[in-house]
Amino acid sequence: MGAGATSDSVIEVRGLWKVFGPRPERIVGSPSADLSRRQLEATTGNVVAVREVDVDVAPGEAFVVMGLSGSGKSTLVRCLTRLIDPTAGIVRIGGVDVTAADGETLLDVRRNRVSMVFQHFGLLPHRSLADNVAFGLEVRGVDKSRRRAKAEEMLDLVGLAGLGSARPDQLSGGMQQRVGLARALATEPEILLFDEPFSALDPLIRRDMQDEIIRLRSEVSTTMVFITHDLSEALRLGDRIAIMRDGRFVQVGTPAEVVGAPADEYVSNFVRDVSRSHVLAVESIMTLIGAGGAGTNGFSARVPLGTKVCDVMSRLAHHDLPVGVIDEDGIVVGSVDRIAALRLVAGEDVLDVIDGTGDR
Amino acid sequence: MAIAAVAVGTPAVASDRSVRWRRLVIPTVVVATICVVGAWIGDGVPTWLDARVRPWSDDVYDWTVQNNGDHWLFTRVFEPIADTLTATNDAVLWVLRHLRWPGVLTLVALIGWRTGGARAAIVGMLAMAGCGVLGFWDETMVTIALMLVAVIVALLIGIPLGILAGRSDRAERWLRGVLDTAQVMPAFVYFLPVVVAFGIRVPAAAIATVVYATPPAIRLTSHGLRSVPVVATEVGNSFGCTSRQLLAKVQLPMARRAMLLGLNQVIMMAFAIVVLASMLGVAGLGGRVLSGLQRVQVGQAFAPGLAIVFAAVALDRITTGERAKRGDRVRRRMPAFARGRAHIATIVTVGLVVAVAIIAAGAGADDFPSAFTIDITEPINDAVRWVNDNFRTGVPVVGGTGSFSDFLTLHVLNPVRDLLVDSPWWAVVAASFAIGWASAGWRLAALCGACFVGIAALRTWELAMDTLSQVLVIIAVSVLLAVPIGICVGRSNRAERLLRPLLDAAQVMPAFVYLVPVIFLFNIGRVPGIVASVIYALPPCIRLVSLGLRQVPIAPREAAISFGATPRQELVKVQLPMAARAIMLGINQTILMVLSMVVIAALIGAGGLGLETVYGLTKSEIGRGVAGGVSIVLLAVVLDRVTQSWGTHPRRT
Repeated sequence: MGAGATSDSVIEVRGLWKVFGPRPERIVGSPSADLSRRQLEATTGNVVAVREVDVDVAPGEAFVVMGLSGSGKSTLVRCLTRLIDPTAGIVRIGGVDVTAADGETLLDVRRNRVSMVFQHFGLLPHRSLADNVAFGLEVRGVDKSRRRAKAEEMLDLVGLAGLGSARPDQLSGGMQQRVGLARALATEPEILLFDEPFSALDPLIRRDMQDEIIRLRSEVSTTMVFITHDLSEALRLGDRIAIMRDGRFVQVGTPAEVVGAPADEYVSNFVRDVSRSHVLAVESIMTLIGAGGAGTNGFSARVPLGTKVCDVMSRLAHHDLPVGVIDEDGIVVGSVDRIAALRLVAGEDVLDVIDGTGDR
Repeated sequence: MAIAAVAVGTPAVASDRSVRWRRLVIPTVVVATICVVGAWIGDGVPTWLDARVRPWSDDVYDWTVQNNGDHWLFTRVFEPIADTLTATNDAVLWVLRHLRWPGVLTLVALIGWRTGGARAAIVGMLAMAGCGVLGFWDETMVTIALMLVAVIVALLIGIPLGILAGRSDRAERWLRGVLDTAQVMPAFVYFLPVVVAFGIRVPAAAIATVVYATPPAIRLTSHGLRSVPVVATEVGNSFGCTSRQLLAKVQLPMARRAMLLGLNQVIMMAFAIVVLASMLGVAGLGGRVLSGLQRVQVGQAFAPGLAIVFAAVALDRITTGERAKRGDRVRRRMPAFARGRAHIATIVTVGLVVAVAIIAAGAGADDFPSAFTIDITEPINDAVRWVNDNFRTGVPVVGGTGSFSDFLTLHVLNPVRDLLVDSPWWAVVAASFAIGWASAGWRLAALCGACFVGIAALRTWELAMDTLSQVLVIIAVSVLLAVPIGICVGRSNRAERLLRPLLDAAQVMPAFVYLVPVIFLFNIGRVPGIVASVIYALPPCIRLVSLGLRQVPIAPREAAISFGATPRQELVKVQLPMAARAIMLGINQTILMVLSMVVIAALIGAGGLGLETVYGLTKSEIGRGVAGGVSIVLLAVVLDRVTQSWGTHPRRT
């Protein structure tokens, strides 16, 4: 598993199953779970939405679950706070076993540790924006004046200052989701869950909202679990990406790993159309230069490790010389030339070792 | 498991033929058996087939008459309930009378203003004033007071049960069984057991109304809660709402609009029943209509009937609320006090109404001023005479109302009735069994057969066949009229604009008032009952047919047009088939309305089972009433289930 698999992870999922239909327990781990979806539904009437998922999410990490509709990703995220009760397995949030928790503990987790942003915004139409944003605090029993103040602050944060008394139906979709975001942030949760938050928005607004998330992450260091069916969104936002299919994770890795080294044909089909130069960093295609190696001066420019390949393309096009890659100490560790860049764009296998520093 | 899956797939094809064969053989054998056994028993209903419902019910009634002073069931249960209801009714009526007519009109206007703006306020107030102008102000207040008491009790029972049903699937299943049965019972039938327990007058009428108005209250609350989007409930849960917080902060506020629309329906139903409850000896508007009908004095029945229409319009206007229909856009156009917080608006309303009432008291405006009242009894009587003189016969082409009446009786009603009455009873049972089987399989077949045997056992066979013949004729006429009109309304916006107000108005009228205009034209007998039933059942049927057509998505219609379909082809090949289910449900609703109306039509001489019930109620022949009432319910169950199955079961290929 990826880099986040440490004992101090905020979210820990072990052997999680969700089976819909009659007597779901008997399906878990049985041979019938391996039947195709159609066969299983015909024989037992059950549908397996999540099968044997293990995840560890590190504090501050942005973990993206990507999959097509029906892959079980929305069910998975609902199992984390038991909006849907899992059939089998364990979910720990901040060390608390949610799956075994009694009602009070569960409410505490939902009220104080986790917030969720919903696909169709889920704003309550009978409440003003401020009351929507303060909903989590109200449920928690925070008094009115503090709720008001916090709501104003949060609306300010998402760029809707002064609209507190408006009603949800007066806003555009993008603005509504900003309110949804403000509502989730108002409770100052340790974990934010996003269930396809931007899929109902227009492409341009979607991009704005993604920028908003990136900006927020630089301000607050909340852990995020982000569900999406949009690969480019996953690549933009995720520290790690899990590709989900038929209820199970087929690959978990950094964007560079997923794009550069797809685990199977399904994933490679998925990432085939991704512009790899936008995802992969120069080190994935550079020619290593040993310490004190030759040719340190024959570069048109020097770029630090982690620079995306697309950012050096223009320079490679205009100058015959390769681009040098330097580490944190300013020492040249490798070089990238036109041929390497072209082979990447042409879709040839990237042979070099890919490491997790590619993103950020 | 994998093998099992394959095994399920293959033999289905092989056994298809044998299944179809069996499907035909079993019902044929059963029908043949019924016929053979029936023929052996005899064509008339045998005397031993008797559930002895009449004597048994009479015994129960006699027992209650003898024991209602001392048995605990009366002293501890029924009497306290009756006393509370009477006291509440008296209190409400006291308030309404002491508000005096200016105070009540102010209240109506303010409620209308708050729910629907100036228009609702003016229409509501004028309609309510109309009751006074006709000279029935106090009768209107008596009727409204009783209705308010019944609505309050119905809501007190219905809302908690509705919340239960809205939140728990198990409670929903339990309640739905009860509600579905309650829905097919004509209002009249409710009266009988109530009379046994509570006697007659105010408490009985209130209880009957409560029994009738509670199911919609439950249904609409539950429906409102269930129509709250899943995501809203998830949002509540995800932020850690307790169950109570979820209800108070998310579900109830979001269900509010649907529940307000429901309140309107509850009020209108309660009003219709309170008017009908004049059968139980309650004074008020219904009582005036009834005495007019019983003496066949159209003028005396017409004026209070018109007052009922005015009161119904007023109640409907001020409780529907444009806001509930059109949302917040209207809200912004409303007066400042109405937009504000609910309690301020309430205080302002109460303050204004009381102030008006005090001024009115000071000015001595106790009764509705006689200077404003108009007596329309004589003009109406003159009009009836004129109609009788000029339209009964000899009108070119159509022939006149009398000729129409004779034609319908001789050439349509009598043949159908004779067919049903003269057929051996076992043949009717066998036919109902076959129809049930063809519609939805053996369960429905068994139900149909059992219901008809039950009717035979109630010893009401001939009356039931009479009623059934009327119902069938009414249904046929209604459907023949409603489907084409519904297609027009569903496809032409102009037709819809033209008919919409009429359909809306028809929907709020109590069934009772439809009887008045038809005796105006047709005198009494079976034909006016049939005409009244058709008029009563047409609007909802038209509405549902046109709604069904309008709900067909535009995409398939556009596809048909793009392939060059003519409007007729598009209608016949796309729109009608796609709306078939909705149209069938519309017909199902129509049948239930027809049945409840046919029973009421007994008041103007339609005879049949309805007359038994009326006798039971008015002449204290409870046994007769119960036998008639139960027979009506059995008929209703058969007609309801059969037509429902046409609407819900996918057509077999």
